[in-house]
Amino acid sequence: MTVDIASIAPAGASYEPGDGVVGRIVIDRPNDSVNSIDPPLIAALFGAVAAARAARPRGLVLASAKPDTFSGGADLKLLSIWPSAAELTEASRAMQRLCDEIAALPCTSVAALNGSALAGGYELALACDWRVAADTPELRVGLPEVQLGLIPAAGGTQRLARLVGLPRALDLILGARRLSARRALRAGLVDELAQPAVLERAAYDRALKGAKREPAGGRSALERAATFVAPARALALRQARARLMKETRGHYPAPPRVLDALAIGLARGMPAGLDAEARAFGELATSDVARNLIALFFLTTRQRRASSEGLPRADAPRDVAVVGAGLMGSGIAQAAAVAGMTVRMRDVDDAALARGLGAVRALTTEASRKGAIERRESARVIARVSGTTDYSGFARAELVIEAVFEELGLKRRVLGELEAATRDDAVIASNTSALPIAEIATGARRPERVVGMHFFSPVHRMPLVEVVRTERAEPWAVARVVAAANALGTTVIVVRDGPGFYTTRILGLMLGEATHLLEQGARIEDVDRAMTAFGWPVGPLALIDEVGLAVARHAGDTVAAAAGIDAPRNAVALLAEAGLEGKRGGAGFYLYGGRRRVPNPRVYELLGAAPAATPPDVAERLTALFVNAAVRCLDEGVLRSAGDGDLGAVLGLGFPPFLGGPFRYADARGAALVERLRALAASAGARYEPAASLASGRRFFS
Amino acid sequence: MRRAVIAGGWRTPFVKAGTDFADADVLELASAATAETLARSETPSSSIDEIVYGNVSRPVAYHNLAREIVLALGLPTSIYASSVGMACASACVAITDAADHIAVGTANAVLAGGAESLSNVPITYSPKLARALVAASQARTLPRKASSFAHIRLGDLAPVAPGIRETSTGLTMGESAERMAGINAIGREAQDRWSLRSHQRAAAGWDDGRLAAEVVPVFRHGAVVRTDTHIRRDTTLERLASLRPVFDRAHGTITAGNASPLTDGAATVLLLSEERARAEGRTGLVAIRSYAYAAVDPADQLLIAPAYAIPIALSRAGLALGEIGLVEMHEAFAAQVLSTFQVLERNGVGAIDQERVNVMGGSIALGHPFGATGARVVTTLANEMRRRGTQFGMATVCAAGGNGAAIVLELLA
Repeated sequence: MTVDIASIAPAGASYEPGDGVVGRIVIDRPNDSVNSIDPPLIAALFGAVAAARAARPRGLVLASAKPDTFSGGADLKLLSIWPSAAELTEASRAMQRLCDEIAALPCTSVAALNGSALAGGYELALACDWRVAADTPELRVGLPEVQLGLIPAAGGTQRLARLVGLPRALDLILGARRLSARRALRAGLVDELAQPAVLERAAYDRALKGAKREPAGGRSALERAATFVAPARALALRQARARLMKETRGHYPAPPRVLDALAIGLARGMPAGLDAEARAFGELATSDVARNLIALFFLTTRQRRASSEGLPRADAPRDVAVVGAGLMGSGIAQAAAVAGMTVRMRDVDDAALARGLGAVRALTTEASRKGAIERRESARVIARVSGTTDYSGFARAELVIEAVFEELGLKRRVLGELEAATRDDAVIASNTSALPIAEIATGARRPERVVGMHFFSPVHRMPLVEVVRTERAEPWAVARVVAAANALGTTVIVVRDGPGFYTTRILGLMLGEATHLLEQGARIEDVDRAMTAFGWPVGPLALIDEVGLAVARHAGDTVAAAAGIDAPRNAVALLAEAGLEGKRGGAGFYLYGGRRRVPNPRVYELLGAAPAATPPDVAERLTALFVNAAVRCLDEGVLRSAGDGDLGAVLGLGFPPFLGGPFRYADARGAALVERLRALAASAGARYEPAASLASGRRFFS
Repeated sequence: MRRAVIAGGWRTPFVKAGTDFADADVLELASAATAETLARSETPSSSIDEIVYGNVSRPVAYHNLAREIVLALGLPTSIYASSVGMACASACVAITDAADHIAVGTANAVLAGGAESLSNVPITYSPKLARALVAASQARTLPRKASSFAHIRLGDLAPVAPGIRETSTGLTMGESAERMAGINAIGREAQDRWSLRSHQRAAAGWDDGRLAAEVVPVFRHGAVVRTDTHIRRDTTLERLASLRPVFDRAHGTITAGNASPLTDGAATVLLLSEERARAEGRTGLVAIRSYAYAAVDPADQLLIAPAYAIPIALSRAGLALGEIGLVEMHEAFAAQVLSTFQVLERNGVGAIDQERVNVMGGSIALGHPFGATGARVVTTLANEMRRRGTQFGMATVCAAGGNGAAIVLELLA
């Protein structure tokens, strides 16, 4: 099969002559609110451009007929329509030709961005002479393809660098940035902002009066030099490449290909650059990394619906209450207020409350400074959170989130107080990372409305919430918690109750195993370094130091209590008892006194271990244990699906995204993983014994 | 018949102007009182129909403070809101308007109240300069813009503070109170005694928790403001007697000690239809039984109008003064309170049992944020009626311009 756009029935775009002076190309893909670019739309756009060329208007406006969206970019189903690298390179060339044709029109062309224009959508806009955007808080523009393991392949790398200069283009493309309208204006990605109601007119006026233009390559002489002067450009590219290798450790092939395409295109001209872009796209789009990242993307976008599957319909609550104004409580309160909920936050005294409300203000102000929240809206966000030292305001709450210290007795006591202070139809969610919800709810008057809601810290940066469902929990109660977490903009997985649920359980096992390796002679820094080289964001021992040994020990104890798992001796407990606290106390697995952390020799002493050689496959081994534990959770019914397991591990625990998640990793490794686990089980212990579905050779994704 | 009940009311601490709330504008204070009233009355904001709010010294930025509260708190934008004004009785108007809307059936749940930031009074330009600025902004050419200012003299550049004098008499509030003290022969010592009583009872009200229950903490800049700051626990008759008269230094009786002080604060009351309050299972309901406004010639006794509003409100309620078990009377000046007692008696309305008046102190000790005071007296009265099981109570507020308000409340079974 080859890519023959001319043979595809066009649909989704047309040329409208308008008043004959300024014509319009309108994108309106049927049954798709975000105007994803698919083959029929590409064909239709070719037709529309040809019509515009024939009509010879004085100006042309490229617009979307969808409310509040311009175009979200290529329809990712393209990748299955054209599965080979050669076809995808051809598809990229077709898009490039389309953009070239728009750019070559004799009239002035203006893209009217009534909403977000991302990836291929923004590349279409880039092909126009000018871009006018609606001044709305939701609008985003950018070329975030590298996030999916791809690169902008409709001329985006070439045109953006020529428009705003190489340094800024690198920052935008490699950072996969999505800029708000205001920031896009400042960065030069759009030329004018207009009130949404007058956007069409602004675009019309500019198409009529504006000139064709030659992109300048940035605003400052420095930017232009880094774009067009060879030695300066070489320096900029070299620096970017060095930074890139440090950040991605070579696990992500797309960003270097962006650099290549830019280096070629700026040195040898646009056609050469486009050629490099198209080739890179074909190769990247068929790579495992892109497949895995795209699979995760699909999982994430579908999760909103998937998370509430099998549950009754529920609205997100309007009035919520939070117990505990600490780091977690204030983070949850702030997130809820951002989502438009009215929040009542409780803590025991004025000082704690003042700190918590101060934290809400600080988080919101920071988000506003970064452009994530509009300035006036940020004042309303802050105003939506009120504080109290009693339980006033709790009787109106539809959902109460308890975020007090992780201690069973305390959580039970607070639950008792909450049952007295809330309505009978309010749902009480306990934020805990490990304590079984059923145990917290023991003795509750109405345990059927108690649900676990495991937030990750810091709340405003962590995109996952693990909703924990006990056997007694009423479906409507679970549904309300899921709806609330979805409203906060997090990705939600629903798991069965049990020690450590899903995420803490598998993480705890892996951390325990890492300490176990130390006892067998591995070196602290080697273990961590191997894991970060493998793609984990932070090494397991450094992670224990981050969360603190007391917390890690507590989670570890809880997880070890999980039936049927022969966790190794709890080394963390040993260190905690010896007075090591972790990073906050200055000493854990590392010493944090100096400018750089150094391994703590006392750890070996306490463990009675002599640091010798670290096994070369330590990262693979720990990852295999982690994956095996995840599969066991699916086998036991803790997880509802492999997709939930992948999302939880990647979004909550930092499992390397380019591997797609533990289940996708298991699929990819197949029999080799099972062999490896069996060998480890024989040499290191039964905890490596492959989970039933792994042993049976089951594939988790088709 | 439909009637409105008070489902709860809360206020911010009343704080000396220019201190803890100096950099909080009136909207922040109003929002704080309103958000807490919603929370503490356990009322979802989606169930509110309307906000009516009073404010006297209005910032130029807020043409309609009430609506700004809705928007600032992110309440449902469908809540319509209006701002009302009757000087110091503004919040009374807010509350009786709200009660009327509920009684005639146009609303079921209304937030009413008032706020004042006397730390942030709007300072304006002289009328001449203001007109010149408007003319300049409308002029099209630079020379014309410049010529708009041709008649401005140096003296026109001085800023103008909000009026403290009655426009019709030219007398300040204090001078008017001196006049009332003179007409009714109210001596300095009687005024100081009333003032002392106000401070003592306010202190007692805080000490036994009754006032604390209706005052909500305001968290600002990582700190908290919890209490009223005007109350002088250590004051004595001797100390009050040692203060010099402020308005008439030679013959006067009005001092800083027997007048209400400049105050920042806000108070909000939740009014519901009785039907809805009962459906929600709320208890301790206090209904608006009747109310009346009256007005007098400002040149006579500026602050005496409540003495005329009271008999009308009583007759509308079908009650005699003796049946009123508790009275909350705004204390603009001790002289004004004592004058009111005298005039009521002289006019045959009856003698008020002073032991039933301002049992937790009044504006002299608690402070007087103009726009908020009406909501404070109604809240305090309703709460104390509940605590004592008093069937009927009355709140009165006098206002600049010669207006006065009286509201009769009834504790429902």
